[in-house]
Amino acid sequence: MINQKDLRPKDLGRSDEQLIKLESLMELKAPYDAEGMEPPFTEPKQAWREKYCASLDGYVGIDKLTRPQSKEEEDEFVRKFLRGLEKVFTDANSGVLQPFLLSFEYCAKCNTCSDACHIFKATNSNELYRPIFRSEVLRKIVKKHFTKSGKLLGSFVGADIDVNWETIARLGELAYRCNLCRRCAQTCPLGLDNSLLAKEIRKVFSQEMGIAPSPLHEKGTVNQLKTGSSTGITKPVLLDTLEFLEEDIEELYGLKIKFPVDKKGADILLTHNAGEYMAWPENPIAFAILFEEAGLNWTLSSEMIGYDNVNYGIWYDDAQAKKIALQQMKAAKDLGVRRIIIGECGHAHKAAAVVADRMAYGEDKIPVESCLPLLWDLVKSKALKFDPSKNNFPVTLHDPCNVVRQMGIVQPQRRILKEICPDFREMTPHGVDNYCCGGGSGFAIMNSMNFAEFRNKISARTKFDQILGAFQDTIEQVEPPKYVCAPCSNCKGTIRDILEYYQATEKFNVHYGGLVELMVNALVSMKKPFFEFLE
Amino acid sequence: MSLSILAYLAIILFLGLSAYKAYKYAKMPLHGRMELYPVPKEQGHEYGGSYFEEVEWWNKERKVNHMAELIDMLKEMLFIKKLFDNQRPLWWLSYALHLGIYLLIAWTVLLIVGGLTLLAGGQVSPSSGIWGALIFYLTAFTGLSGLVLATFGSAMLFLRRIFDDTLRKYTTPQEYFNLALLYCATVSGIFVWINDLTFSTAREITANLISFTPFEVSGLLIAHIVILFIMFTYIPLSKMSHYVGKYFSFHKVLWENEPNLRGSAMEKKVEQALARRSTNSWSAPHISGQAPAEE
Repeated sequence: MINQKDLRPKDLGRSDEQLIKLESLMELKAPYDAEGMEPPFTEPKQAWREKYCASLDGYVGIDKLTRPQSKEEEDEFVRKFLRGLEKVFTDANSGVLQPFLLSFEYCAKCNTCSDACHIFKATNSNELYRPIFRSEVLRKIVKKHFTKSGKLLGSFVGADIDVNWETIARLGELAYRCNLCRRCAQTCPLGLDNSLLAKEIRKVFSQEMGIAPSPLHEKGTVNQLKTGSSTGITKPVLLDTLEFLEEDIEELYGLKIKFPVDKKGADILLTHNAGEYMAWPENPIAFAILFEEAGLNWTLSSEMIGYDNVNYGIWYDDAQAKKIALQQMKAAKDLGVRRIIIGECGHAHKAAAVVADRMAYGEDKIPVESCLPLLWDLVKSKALKFDPSKNNFPVTLHDPCNVVRQMGIVQPQRRILKEICPDFREMTPHGVDNYCCGGGSGFAIMNSMNFAEFRNKISARTKFDQILGAFQDTIEQVEPPKYVCAPCSNCKGTIRDILEYYQATEKFNVHYGGLVELMVNALVSMKKPFFEFLE
Repeated sequence: MSLSILAYLAIILFLGLSAYKAYKYAKMPLHGRMELYPVPKEQGHEYGGSYFEEVEWWNKERKVNHMAELIDMLKEMLFIKKLFDNQRPLWWLSYALHLGIYLLIAWTVLLIVGGLTLLAGGQVSPSSGIWGALIFYLTAFTGLSGLVLATFGSAMLFLRRIFDDTLRKYTTPQEYFNLALLYCATVSGIFVWINDLTFSTAREITANLISFTPFEVSGLLIAHIVILFIMFTYIPLSKMSHYVGKYFSFHKVLWENEPNLRGSAMEKKVEQALARRSTNSWSAPHISGQAPAEE
């Protein structure tokens, strides 16, 4: 094991059982600055070390990356990776070639990006998580194997790394220690993007070697393409679920609402992250209440993939991303809707509106909008009547990276909160400068082995600290309840987990949820609170 | 004569190789969108907003503020603003080097203008009229300040990389070489011109180089011109050509958010890009369609 301070990119191939051990983390704000407020680190099981790649930092993110049983398997693994890596530079990768080559070629190693990274910050500047560390390993491998200068001049140009199973497997794991939030790219004086290199590593593993975390691949995109949803919800299950929700709405709030499904020619096709139906049904319920009260002409789809707007492919596999995006477009086109409105799911926003924007053209493309401007429009136009005093408790807003930094949707959600929440306070920093929740790029759903600990303690640490910061005036009092508004399913999942991990709900009455729930809670027409914690 | 050829060749190679590099990047296939906000050409760029903040954005006239984009680009080019904002200690050193280089480019242009003035029978001196005096003083100012700043900047960046524990881990010998080359070019310049602080001899030599007129040269001058030749040829081949890359990374990646709307020029580009078939393909079973051997 190396002291992280001495760690260099070329050390990635060393034979240590574990390259570094995490011990020091950023101190959290009160009351979590006190001894014993945070669960301690756990040791990885020996069985995991033997089966998977736990040799990076002791965590296992890729449950499909198993150790070879023979020298032949080991060699084949290295050969496949190098073959895939070579393809990254070819027309097999044309959709990203220019941005990738720029980031690959031009890094001046000025190290400006490091301070922007929430993971680097959370680990008290641990060398392993420095944004350029991973990028530099990749450059060294490429130089060593694919460039004339590397072959002729070797270490003079940085081609000084041993490329073996351990190097590549650790690099694969390391690609899953970055949330792909792109905050570092905002600060780069040359406009380069380390997350792009991390994603290309993930792609080589998936697209060439067939290795990806199963929550993203087998249980994610493959499941979605097979059943219609990454949750496994099929059309009959969806229809049953909607029926249950209608009953719940009537029973709980005395409202008779019928979810419009497959309404041909509707103005709006509303798409949700199907995980909402299972984990946070109050979110699709809240949308339905708002849309019905505002009299919108909207529908849900029950067709294949039309009812699940997630697209995990954008985190690790371009081919899977494209298959899903095209299927989602087809669902909208078949319904003949005028526009698609993406519900509160950040990566679905980016996948449908930005990533998929150049995957089709002409009549196959239905305009895609975020739900946030539409919701603000309903508030601004007074189509809905609110009583802000119903939301009279501290509320802060988490900015999902995909919606804010990567789409520029900054103000609508704030304007709504300022209208309906008298005690709204911003996190620091916020808007396009926000920190990732720590669940970005798949971390929110990756729970294999001990990966949840990495998320809760490290990748989500900065966000938890921001939440504490936003509520510093009341955090140590149980009353009033405090609410983290996170208009994104993956962010909600991450925040749910950190609130539980740090027992912040139990001890300090900190709650989380989406934006539409706050809106419904403040509706004049609602006879009782929408939130259980207010009852 | 051979020095003239070398000087011309250095400039031709520098411009030609840089242009070729830009051409290669420009010819790359249309990539997926990867914009990152704030995007300066957006109307709400002050806080990082975009057209996606509008209901039915696709139905509305797109407002693009090219002037704001130009201003942001100039701030980056002229002042390296992102470094100034995010890493001030390094900015002082890096900006010294870059400002020094800009001044030396201006100095070179002024030497050529001065040389041409001499060849045309004019004079360049404090007492030779407005034109001659202007060229005289500007040449002296840009040359002296450029040499000092570029030498200081390259030396300090070199030393910072050696003495900073973090940077040292990531710096390859080639990257030290890059800074050392810049340093040698400016230091050899200082040695050559140390006795010619008004650059009058430099101007005469430039006139001789332009007109292919033989002149007496010192060993030091030959060494300086050879180093310059190596530097000008090497820069576009190395990552010091980030003056090319930076344009693309900002304009064509981070600030490129052109939507693919019905009937737009972008739609045409997308159609063409999607029609293109790649010669390489990925091998994982879910892409190639082949079942894995062990399943």
